[in-house]
Amino acid sequence: MDVFRLADADTVLPGARAGDPAAQEALFRAFQAPVYNLARRICRTTEDAEDVLQETFMEVFRSIGRFRGDGSLWGWVRTIAASKALMRLRRNKYRDADALPDDVMAPRREDAALRMDLEAALERLSETARAVVWLHDVEGYTHEEIATMMDRTVSFSKSQLARAHVRLRRWLGEEVPA
Amino acid sequence: MTHLTMEQLLAMREPGQEPGVQGWRDHLDVCDVCQTELSRLDQRVARLRALPLLKPSRNRFLEIRARAQAERRRRVFLVSGIGALALAASVALAVVLAPESGARPQDTNLAGGQELQETMARSRQLEEALSVYNPEQRVLDGRTAMIAATLEDRLARVDQRLQVMNLMDRGVRQSESLRLWRERVGLLDALVDVHATRAGYVGF
Repeated sequence: MDVFRLADADTVLPGARAGDPAAQEALFRAFQAPVYNLARRICRTTEDAEDVLQETFMEVFRSIGRFRGDGSLWGWVRTIAASKALMRLRRNKYRDADALPDDVMAPRREDAALRMDLEAALERLSETARAVVWLHDVEGYTHEEIATMMDRTVSFSKSQLARAHVRLRRWLGEEVPA
Repeated sequence: MTHLTMEQLLAMREPGQEPGVQGWRDHLDVCDVCQTELSRLDQRVARLRALPLLKPSRNRFLEIRARAQAERRRRVFLVSGIGALALAASVALAVVLAPESGARPQDTNLAGGQELQETMARSRQLEEALSVYNPEQRVLDGRTAMIAATLEDRLARVDQRLQVMNLMDRGVRQSESLRLWRERVGLLDALVDVHATRAGYVGF
């Protein structure tokens, strides 16, 4: 999803670095939707996602002077957003159902009767599994990058992704009869 | 026939070649079930990527900017303000405690000096109380952020006036000093209230 670009980044960046409100607003307008989307897909509540949005742009405005332009601006902003969202997950760990099997999260019905849409199925995953799916499959991060961001191992990221897809497949009724 | 696991199917979609991938590909070439699985996996990922972009319910730029500005001011204040403020405080104290050449009686100076010292001590206590709430790290809702930013703005102006007070005429300084420190205490008090209320609300 690396499609978000700031058309006039060359003029906006120096202003944002100098703390110019108009430049900061241009930056915010360009990236607020993808940042919020990433946060909302990873976090469980809209409140958490809005907090992540706020924390991300606070960090962007604070650190924009350190952005060297080696990669894309959106890539830099996105990494801050992902890191803030994952920090929020860690902070809310007590709410996370990772320690619980999915059967505990929601009573399992007969698989055949369970036909969720993709949004609902994604929502049903544990926060960690959903974060891995989103960061890997949608945002395009590698397992190595995800492992670094989550402070876990590469195999943890791979196994979370595989387990999540097994569950999504079941919940979406996409199992292939052998 | 043993079919490919989800881990193996996912590994085949990765850019690097994991050990064993060639064997899995050989199996895939001849297995309809695994071909369907891989195709469904590809489709599922494509559908994930096509999910609609979720947007925030309202524009929060003004709140974020207010918070960023407050944080910036706080940092500037911490770096440069404390030293200058300490200097202003000592000047203010010296002015009030210094014997006046005019007709004002000595005991009035001492009483004023004592009150100033008490006010400055109260100001320090409130600064400490404020630091407990760690305002720089806390996420505030828009309205609270605006109130906090307004109070911090006014506080910054009071501190500025305290810093330049030593350029004023001694008589003015003496009357201004206590008034400014009282105003500072009032603003800090309000700021602590704002953060205490917010912290109470979120179960700090």
